[in-house]
This record gives sequence, structure tokens and C-alpha cells, in this order.
Amino acid sequence: MNDTHAKKFQKDLNAGLVALVLLAVLAATDEDAYGYDIAKRLQPPDGGEPLFKEGTIYPVLRSLSASGWLSSRIVPSYSGPPRRYYRITPEGRAVLADWLAAWAHTRDFVDHFTRAATQPQSPSGSTP
Amino acid sequence: MNSAAPASINEYLQALRLALQATDPALVQDALYDAEQHLRAEIAANPNLAESEVLANIVKSYGAPDEVAAAYLETESRVQAAMAMPMSSRRSMEAANRGTTSVGIWQRFFGVYGDVRAYTSLFYCLLALFTGVFYFSFVAVGLSLSIGLAILIIGLPFFLLFIGAARLLALVEGRLVEAMTGERMPRRPATRPRDLSLLQRIGQMLKEIRTWTTLAYEALMLPLGIAYFVIAVVGLSLGAGLIVAAIFEALAAAGFVLPGQPGIHLASESAWMYEWIRHPIGLLLIALGGIIVTTVTLHVVRALGRLHGAFAKRMLVTL
Repeated sequence: MNDTHAKKFQKDLNAGLVALVLLAVLAATDEDAYGYDIAKRLQPPDGGEPLFKEGTIYPVLRSLSASGWLSSRIVPSYSGPPRRYYRITPEGRAVLADWLAAWAHTRDFVDHFTRAATQPQSPSGSTP
Repeated sequence: MNSAAPASINEYLQALRLALQATDPALVQDALYDAEQHLRAEIAANPNLAESEVLANIVKSYGAPDEVAAAYLETESRVQAAMAMPMSSRRSMEAANRGTTSVGIWQRFFGVYGDVRAYTSLFYCLLALFTGVFYFSFVAVGLSLSIGLAILIIGLPFFLLFIGAARLLALVEGRLVEAMTGERMPRRPATRPRDLSLLQRIGQMLKEIRTWTTLAYEALMLPLGIAYFVIAVVGLSLGAGLIVAAIFEALAAAGFVLPGQPGIHLASESAWMYEWIRHPIGLLLIALGGIIVTTVTLHVVRALGRLHGAFAKRMLVTL
């Protein structure tokens, strides 16, 4: 029961985060990347569980591409069907900059209040 | 959640298809394509593991079929909502501005001029003549060559190539239909069983209903394209012609000498309509008729676009 609540909460949190992370990953690389390749880059550095399943990135990639934030091209592959390579567009970079600012703001705001909950000793908040 | 963990790619795709059962077939086709690509890449990346072991890992990393299905539905609904927002908010604003129903009817009648779909559908109708001719010639040439070459050794590969090209054409046409009429069409090709021999693949193609509906659609685009084109051109030129003629007659009646003589006449001088037509009220009625014909044409064209979208979905995606 608790587990499903945690899962639902995580899903709600992820709603916009998948798009943010995908834009960030594509902005960090200079080369084009295809779906499977991007999915494999989403491994967390400490080897833990990724935040979201690989299967969830494809529809988001497509909607980012439809918004003009990613450009894509199809390249024939030797090992199977052709692959769709994605690259971030200048508009995508602009959107990413806005989103990163929003994310930093959100993170600081949430941190400010959740820190109090994780440190019950200091009741007056966490102003240092 | 799911009864048994899928042990092969086909089982996984089957489970995913089941999880997406009640949704738009175009979305299902996209989701299956993405999953198959990813799973095949995963299996290729782990050559020393058995397919069932890889799939057990995939359910953890890629997500179980129900989870993936939920992600697609959610993204799709969010994208749809974002795209539908401007239209519906404009509608509700219109509705709020105009209270009474009689004004509402006029608003709806002339509101077509503010609807992007009317213009994109118009464009589709005009383009359909050319795409229709192209699709029809493609199918006619491809089919007759396939039959003609069937007795030769290159007959089979040619047939495969022809059907493959016809499917690609259907996918492109789908993108065009979605852009112009708003009907959701697939963005990725349909997934089909692999690892078959040449003959098995041909048998599969012959058995599949969608192969035939795709070819039928492409052949039917010729008569449909002609009809759409004629309706759009005749309607718009009749409407525009009536409006312009009324203006010219009015100018001529007011004593303006138009360049190149008054070449436009709605009736010859001997006709019984002549007097009536030169009357200001007659001219006003003619101009009004032109406006109505133009507006009705836009309505008809928009409805045609919507109908054609549904038809294309039925022929190219659903089966």
C-alpha cells in the first residue's frame, strides 16, 4: 500500500522532469543520439535505480520533437531497422535554460521546507 | 499486475498491445514500434544472454507493458490537451460573448473563416489531385509489374519492394493527413513479425488485410483527389466570381470605364435577367450569394477533411 503511494507520488513528480532531463542530456552532448542510446545514458552515477523507466522516454522525445525543441533525422543502421537520431535545437536550448531556472527555483523552495521536516530538532526553520 | 512476465519480444509486444487495447490505433502502432526497436537493441547488446533473461531485465529497465502503456497514454493526453487548448478556449470565449442562439448560428456559419482547419483542409483538397495521381500511378505500375514479373526470378523481390514502398507512402500520407485534418495518424511504421524467409514474408503480406486496404486507399486517392479538387475549385471560383462580377457591374453602372472594356457580364443584354441584374438590389443579392457560396464551400471542405481523416485512419491504420 505504502509502496503504491510512493510510486504514484514519483509518477506525479516525473511528469515534467522526464522532458527536462532529456533536454539536458541532449544539450550536454554534441553528437546526435538515438532512443536506445539516450536511454542508456540515463543511468544514475551511483549505479542506483533510474528515476523513470526507459519506456517512458520515447513518447516524450516525440512530443519534444513535435514542439520543435529537438530535430530528428533517420539513419539506416547495419544491425536492424533505421534509427531516429535526435539533436537539440536552438529553441530547445532556450527552453532548457528557462526550465533549468524554474527547476533551481523549485528545488530551493522545496529544500527550504523539507529540510525542516528532516531535522525536527530546529523548529524555527533552517535559516543558517 | 500482469499474469506472466513476457519471455520473448513477441510476447512483450502482445502484452503491450493488450494494455493499450482501447486506445487510438495510431498511438498503439507508435508504441509498438518504439518498444520493438528498443528491445531488439537490448538483445543485440547482450548477445550472451538468453532472450528470456534479457526480457526479465527489460521489464525492470524499460518498464512492464502496463507501465509503458500508462506513460504513452499520459504523454499523449498531455500533448493533445496542449494542442486543443487554444481552440477550445477560443470557442468558449465566443460562446460567452454571444448569448442568443440566432447570433450563435451566424457566428458558427462565418466562424469557419477563423478556423485554421478549414484552410488546411482546403490545401489538402487541392493537393489531393496531385498526390492522388501519383499514388494511383504508383499502385497501377507496381501491381501490374508485380504480376508481370511474377514468373521471373526478380518477381518476388520486386513485389516485396513494391509493398514496402506502398507502406512507406501510406506513412507519409498519414503524416500529411494528420497535419492537414488533425486526425491522429501513426508516426512510426507498423511492427511485423521478422526472421521470416522471403516466401513466408510474401505470404504474410498477401494474408494481411492492411496490405490490400493500403493499396486500395492509394488507388482510390485518384477519384477522391479529383472530386476534392473539383469541389474546392468550383466552389471557390463560383463564390469569388459572383462577388467580383457584382462589384464590376456596380462600377460599370456607376460610370467607371474599366480597363479592357467591361468584359465581365452576368447576362447578355438580350437576356431577361439583364435589367434585374443591373438593379442595385440584384447586385447586392448576387454579392451576398457569392459570399454564401464561398462560406459554404469552406464548410464543405472542412467536413471533407474530417471525413477523409477518418477514412484514412480506417484504411491505413485500424485494420
